[in-house]
Amino acid sequence: MTGVYESPKPRINASMLAQYIGRSVCLVGRLEKVHPSGKALTLSDGEGKSASVELNEPLDEELSGIVEVIGMVSNKGAIMAVSYTQYREDKISFDLELYNEGLKVLHDFPQYYPFEVSLSG
Amino acid sequence: MTVRLSEGAIESLTKGIEVSNPVLQCVNIRKIDGGNGLSRFRLMMSDGLHTMSSFMLSTQLNPMAEQNQLASNCVCMLKRNVTNVLKDGRRVVVILDMDVIKSADQMAGKIGDPTPYVEGQSKPQQNAAPAPTARPLQSQNGSDGSMNRPSAQSFGKKPMAAPNTPGGSSKVVPIASLNPYQSKWTVRARVTNKGAIRTWSNSRGDGKLFSMELVDESGEIRATGFNNEVDKFYSLIEQGKVYYISKGTLKIANKQFSSLKNDYEMTLNGETTISPCEDSHDVPMVQCDFVSIADLESREKDTIIDVIGVCKNTEDVTRIMTKNSREVSKRNIQLMDMSGRIIQLTMWGNDAETFDGSGQPILAIKGARLSDFGGRSLSTLYSSTVMINPDIPEAYKLRGWYDKEGHAMDGQSMTELRGPGGGGGNTNWKTLAEVKNEHLGHGDKADYFSCIATIVYIRKENCLYQACPSKDCNKKVVDQQNGMYRCEKCDKEFPDFKYRLMLSANIADFGDNQWVTCFQDSAETLLGQNSGYLGQLKDSNESAFDEVFQHANFNTFVFRNRVKLETYNDESRIKVTVVDAKPVDHREYSKRLIINIRKLAAQ
Repeated sequence: MTGVYESPKPRINASMLAQYIGRSVCLVGRLEKVHPSGKALTLSDGEGKSASVELNEPLDEELSGIVEVIGMVSNKGAIMAVSYTQYREDKISFDLELYNEGLKVLHDFPQYYPFEVSLSG
Repeated sequence: MTVRLSEGAIESLTKGIEVSNPVLQCVNIRKIDGGNGLSRFRLMMSDGLHTMSSFMLSTQLNPMAEQNQLASNCVCMLKRNVTNVLKDGRRVVVILDMDVIKSADQMAGKIGDPTPYVEGQSKPQQNAAPAPTARPLQSQNGSDGSMNRPSAQSFGKKPMAAPNTPGGSSKVVPIASLNPYQSKWTVRARVTNKGAIRTWSNSRGDGKLFSMELVDESGEIRATGFNNEVDKFYSLIEQGKVYYISKGTLKIANKQFSSLKNDYEMTLNGETTISPCEDSHDVPMVQCDFVSIADLESREKDTIIDVIGVCKNTEDVTRIMTKNSREVSKRNIQLMDMSGRIIQLTMWGNDAETFDGSGQPILAIKGARLSDFGGRSLSTLYSSTVMINPDIPEAYKLRGWYDKEGHAMDGQSMTELRGPGGGGGNTNWKTLAEVKNEHLGHGDKADYFSCIATIVYIRKENCLYQACPSKDCNKKVVDQQNGMYRCEKCDKEFPDFKYRLMLSANIADFGDNQWVTCFQDSAETLLGQNSGYLGQLKDSNESAFDEVFQHANFNTFVFRNRVKLETYNDESRIKVTVVDAKPVDHREYSKRLIINIRKLAAQ
């Protein structure tokens, strides 16, 4: 899983999960449910669609609101999380729908957003 | 090619019988100079059988005569005219609308052999009868200098009506036909806008006046009453009601004070009579030339227009301070019409305070000013007439449309409204490179623009100056070196001063950088400290003072700027001043960027 930190992690939303199976991605969504075991989460993205997230170790803290998850997409379309971050919303709330609009722009114009870095360096 | 004249038309017109679209040949045109530089044209027209010289061209058609469209022998069709009866019974036909069917040079000459028509005769013959009637007239009115000549054909200025005929016996004439050459008339009109009594006092004395706007089926006109007439009529007249008005004085309109469509305006005088009219159903409520909201984009800013729409949204009334430190109420309303477009209308004063927008009423404004604020927006003026749910067909049409479909539409706004906390001036977003490339500020007036930029450097030398401590005075004080500071503007000395900031900063974006000047408020925003504290630091703790400036670097703000090309002696330089600096609203900025990207992609 250390490979996750070496490659670029494209930002995606739930509808793109299928195209990124086996790749490292970054997904931002609103926390909807935490599995009683604490090892699985459900997030909803800016379009309202759901994404499943699986963790190595159970959650040891209270999570809520907007969460950013980085991990590999499994064959079943869930994200095997390597790290997660909760977005602070104390000063200003996070506009998830607007984030989704920005994300669509990134994907519609890859020629202007060349995030891919060749691994051979 | 021959053209047929309407034979018998002259006889009918002279007898007061209506003739529809008579075709007449112009035999002669004479220009009469009125006062105030406005000329009138008098025509002698022929129908092939008779000629008559009592035709006056309405001033709105003056250009036809001035540009030689009308010349002797041309053939015309009269489309709209009105016949006025003089005191002596003779008739004058005022031509309101006319088409030239055959121009003078297309005609070989006079058609037929017409002879002057004399009233009461079917065969035109100079008769002794008209002559005696003309002479007694002359003696009666010799004092007013009328040019009455014994011949029945010609006449000069129409004689002033002697005050012996009661107003009731005059025929009602249309407002459009009122002119200074005829004073015995009665109009039946509705008062659409009654202004407040205004008083003045100058070296020549004082007085009071009030003005009102009158409308009937034919047009509109402004009427003003002074001093005695104010006392006589002001309380009698109610806005919205219909009155018979007669014998006012007509003169050329002063277009500065009125945007009504009439070359003349009326002054109420000692002989004027105003009486209420009961039968008012066919007098229109108001003469409006409504412009569809979508078309407002193509109109020039600052024009006066009439508009009607549904109050889709009414904001609360607010009170603001004007430049003259007066408080005034204002209220913004979003108006929408059948074009699906919305425009912001600003109401002021009493109208704003009393306006009730509940139930989304139909609002019609006559004489609103179109502004380019936010793209396009409307504002009421002192002279505007505001009508809520007016009793006119356009209002009913709008109501029907809105109830059926309009209420569900979102509508597209012509006024670019900034989010909460914004609302000042146009948001003219530019990048710093665009400011230079587009030569902003090079014109006569300063240009304003907004940009998002990052502070790269702030000069800390000479950023503070000692200013007069009096409230509202920011003039630099002179250090008297004796512990006192003198302000030249207040002409006083003070034992203290207040520190004020004037920063010279360099800001940059992805494309370019720009030196700007920031005054007190925006400077404090950029540095994150107030000027008093900074002044203290400068004197006491130099390193802490430097720290403030370092800390300010690389912060990004939304700048609202004023740019102007200024010339000192022989040198011209672009100067940019920061009017306002605010933290970046990322949400608004992101939305704008996404919209711009999508727009660019679609091109």
